[in-house]
Amino acid sequence: MKSFAWNGLTLLPQRAVWREDTRVLFVADVHLGKAAAFRAAGLPVPAGTTRENLARLDALIEALQPRRLVVLGDLFHARAAYREATLREVAAWRGRRAHLAVTLVAGNHDASAGAPPASLGLELVDEPFALDGLELRHLPRDDDAEGPPILAGHLHPAARLSGPAHDSLRLPCFVMRGRQLILPAFGEFTGGSLAAADAVTALCLVAGDRFVHVPAGTMRRALARR
Amino acid sequence: MFVSAPPSPRTDATLRAYFDRRGWKPFAFQREVWAAMRAGRSGLLHATTGAGKTLAVGFGASLASRRPASGDSTLRILWVTPMRALAADTARTLGAAFAEIGAGSVGLRTGDTDDKTRAAQRKRLPELLVTTPESLTLMLSHPDTRARFSALDAIVVDEWHELLGNKRGVQTQLALARLRRWRPDAPIWGLSATLGDLDGAARALLGPSRDGLIVRGKLDKTLVIDTLAPGDLERIPWGGHLGIAMLPRVVAEIETAATTLVFTNTRSQAEIWYKELLNARPDWAGIIALHHASLERATRDWVEDGLKSGALKAVVCTSSLDLGVDFLPVERVLQIGSAKGVARLLQRAGRSGHAPGRASRITLVPSHSLELVESAAAQKAVREGRIESQTSPDAPLDALAQHLVTIALGGGFRPEDLFAEVRDTVAYERLSEQDWRWALEFVRHGGPTLAVYPDFKRVEPDAEGVWRVPNGRLAMLHRFNIGTITADAGVIVQYGPTPPGARLGAVEESFVARLRAGDKFWFAGKLLEFVRLRDQTAYVRPAKGGRATVPRWGGGRMALSDTLGDAMVELMGAAAEGRFEGPEMRIAKPLLELQARWSALPTPQTLIAETLKTRDGWHLFLYPFAGRHVHLGLASLIAWRAGEIAPGLFSLAVNDYGLEAISADERDWATQLPALLDAALGLDALKAQILASLNAGELSRRRFRDIARISGLTPAAHPQARRTARQLQASSSLFYDVFRKYDPGHALIRQAEREVLEAELDVRRIAETLTRMARKKLVIMPLKRCSPLAFPLLVEGFREKLSNEDFAERVERMATALEKAAAR
Repeated sequence: MKSFAWNGLTLLPQRAVWREDTRVLFVADVHLGKAAAFRAAGLPVPAGTTRENLARLDALIEALQPRRLVVLGDLFHARAAYREATLREVAAWRGRRAHLAVTLVAGNHDASAGAPPASLGLELVDEPFALDGLELRHLPRDDDAEGPPILAGHLHPAARLSGPAHDSLRLPCFVMRGRQLILPAFGEFTGGSLAAADAVTALCLVAGDRFVHVPAGTMRRALARR
Repeated sequence: MFVSAPPSPRTDATLRAYFDRRGWKPFAFQREVWAAMRAGRSGLLHATTGAGKTLAVGFGASLASRRPASGDSTLRILWVTPMRALAADTARTLGAAFAEIGAGSVGLRTGDTDDKTRAAQRKRLPELLVTTPESLTLMLSHPDTRARFSALDAIVVDEWHELLGNKRGVQTQLALARLRRWRPDAPIWGLSATLGDLDGAARALLGPSRDGLIVRGKLDKTLVIDTLAPGDLERIPWGGHLGIAMLPRVVAEIETAATTLVFTNTRSQAEIWYKELLNARPDWAGIIALHHASLERATRDWVEDGLKSGALKAVVCTSSLDLGVDFLPVERVLQIGSAKGVARLLQRAGRSGHAPGRASRITLVPSHSLELVESAAAQKAVREGRIESQTSPDAPLDALAQHLVTIALGGGFRPEDLFAEVRDTVAYERLSEQDWRWALEFVRHGGPTLAVYPDFKRVEPDAEGVWRVPNGRLAMLHRFNIGTITADAGVIVQYGPTPPGARLGAVEESFVARLRAGDKFWFAGKLLEFVRLRDQTAYVRPAKGGRATVPRWGGGRMALSDTLGDAMVELMGAAAEGRFEGPEMRIAKPLLELQARWSALPTPQTLIAETLKTRDGWHLFLYPFAGRHVHLGLASLIAWRAGEIAPGLFSLAVNDYGLEAISADERDWATQLPALLDAALGLDALKAQILASLNAGELSRRRFRDIARISGLTPAAHPQARRTARQLQASSSLFYDVFRKYDPGHALIRQAEREVLEAELDVRRIAETLTRMARKKLVIMPLKRCSPLAFPLLVEGFREKLSNEDFAERVERMATALEKAAAR
């Protein structure tokens, strides 16, 4: 399966969500500059993850030609992301994509990293942010109040795919929980944690360039901690 | 040339008087050590605990120390011991003895030493200082240490067999190389219990360029090894390793002895046994206790004191009590499950029977039926005097990187000098120029190429070409990390958060990551409810009843030794000929006969393989009896070679007796097996194949976890730096992925692979095992039902995966299975 639909939105195995009618692309938890933050603390993490993140964004933008990119929080990992090497790459990317509106729903990492430089031309908004009938957040809601569909991030959800000969793989996933859709982390070098099984209504694993939809009967197993 | 000998404050007469007052006579080995140390010779003293080793070498050191103290450099004797608990006790013993013979003061410096003592030691060190490898390394990270050690006359390393085979031993070797440079005339002595290769042990202690003497102490303790036999074979299972089926018998044994040590092989198993014992005998609350390395120091101290005073009836423990002070009241030692090796068995047996006239006794408690054979094999090996050897790790780069930073802090270094010094250890005598340059580059730039690691800097040369640490904060971090070769990067378990209560110990981060608020688990012998995780602390509160898990700690499951494995096969060979000698073999007889009927028994001349088809796939079982580590390497190799014939996915399980490979797709194992066991490959080609199999599997990823920590990549949890944590949290697994992708040649990745190859898998032993197997007749038995040997492998929960098929194909198979399952 190459894509998956939810409330008129298209889930993409590139760990993004596409809205065709308004031409908006959604991603969550990019964590730019995470490796740089480690290096600044004396931990030798190789460079290259930021370039890779931006290249993956570029590929999506080329293919879909969005009018707007919405980042559902944690675009930058830490203050160290604003150091020269990382910022230069991000600024160059922004220069190439000057016509793209970029909205950042502030997440917990953005808060501690501080506001990104104004020169990047990002629209910084607080959660919840309403956009064309959607509620956009970084932190998922933990109540089940009625309302419009919600897109959220923060959790970096993952689940397990298992099969014959005791095989299993841990894969990033989209989690649908009532009216909420929680996106997998977009960034490289971000890791993931098994999603909480409670109240999950549908689960969609990202395996390379395809989806594996987890049927309702096997969902608990995919999320079981062992 | 005329040299006037300075007066010695302590003569043989002083020592004789010490012995006379007690009505003792020095043993021949003690006199031998004294003479050698007075003559400035180094060596290794080999004797059992309680034989008088401490006095032999302690007094010997006082004889080696002749010059009067002058100025600041008061330290004459350095005494390194692997355990903090042992350090305090040794300092007490030596302190009393030295006071009596008029030798100097004795002090203690370990991670537990309080600030006041540290401050006093900054002014003046005692004449004899008892310390640990970590504290010694820490001292080397301070520039004034050389001056303070300038009157050092003797160095003693206690329990050298505990350090020799691991990285703490490497840390000790590096420290000793430094001390040899500073004080070339000071003799170095090691104390060691039973080891197979004493010459090799002495060489690792003294360095490749120094000769030493090997002195054997008296070894006259009577030793009894027996088995707590189940009434009949039905009582214990075919597989598993908990051994809970034996609980009633163990309770009865504990009942009969004043004090019993119950050894288990893992911390989880110790937790479970403690819980079950209390469950069986609630009246034992308060008089039985639990002891393992992840418990809070204060708890362990309490348990050790209780053992010394005889207040405790039983203690369930792990290797945490293998060493240490003698607990006189201990009458019995029970070993739950396999002791894995003859040396360890002897060591644990020696924890009992310290009272005069009593024998050391260890009773093996089989956790599954084949351990009856293992128990008989252990007794056979001890009777025949077959004991395992230990060897030093070979040039681990993480420990080297750590050492470079240590020395850069401790006054700095010039690379060419330090290279020569480091190569003067057995661990690094074969260190290549290339690896040395890599280590330098690693601490300087973080990696081989500057461009890949902007902003990173740990050590750099100053204007004079001396390499130093420019940043004070990094110095602090490094000093903290020095201890982490031993410490698990753990999450502290504490009551709280409001009000914050007592600390209980530490569990692994991966365990806590799986907990949700309200989940219950057993730890420190208590049922706890998880509240939340904050700042590397898991807050808990007491819980009552309900489902609960037990934490697992990774790492360090011991493998069965060759010595023991060989003895087992010999006994099974005898069984195949109808000979069942000794009570254990007689009880195991029906099981072994079943194995012979359904399949065949392994013998010194035959290698048994079995095949089976189940719902899980196409199984292959093979029984080399070479220990779990070798089996893991063999299993990976066999699966990789099978994948070369036709790509596939394999699930691998191993135990100490054999291995299992399951193929997800149909495979004719019987036809392919002879080719899969090909032994005619050179060591290098074999290494390349195993390396390829590693990349197809997940072993090096796990090994990387420890390496990342020791080399300072993932900092251990530490009290002062907790605030840094949040933005710097990444699992070593994530690091591994990033390195593999962006810097695949990274030397720490290479080291992870090499360590899996050499430490965990041990290519040399895999090659030897392949050759040995090739000499045997291969007997392949198609199974109708699972055989007694196959059963424990079939139910083994922990499995390795190896896949050389396309990711998409693998996903496709699983997705199809998922859809099928959903349709049912």
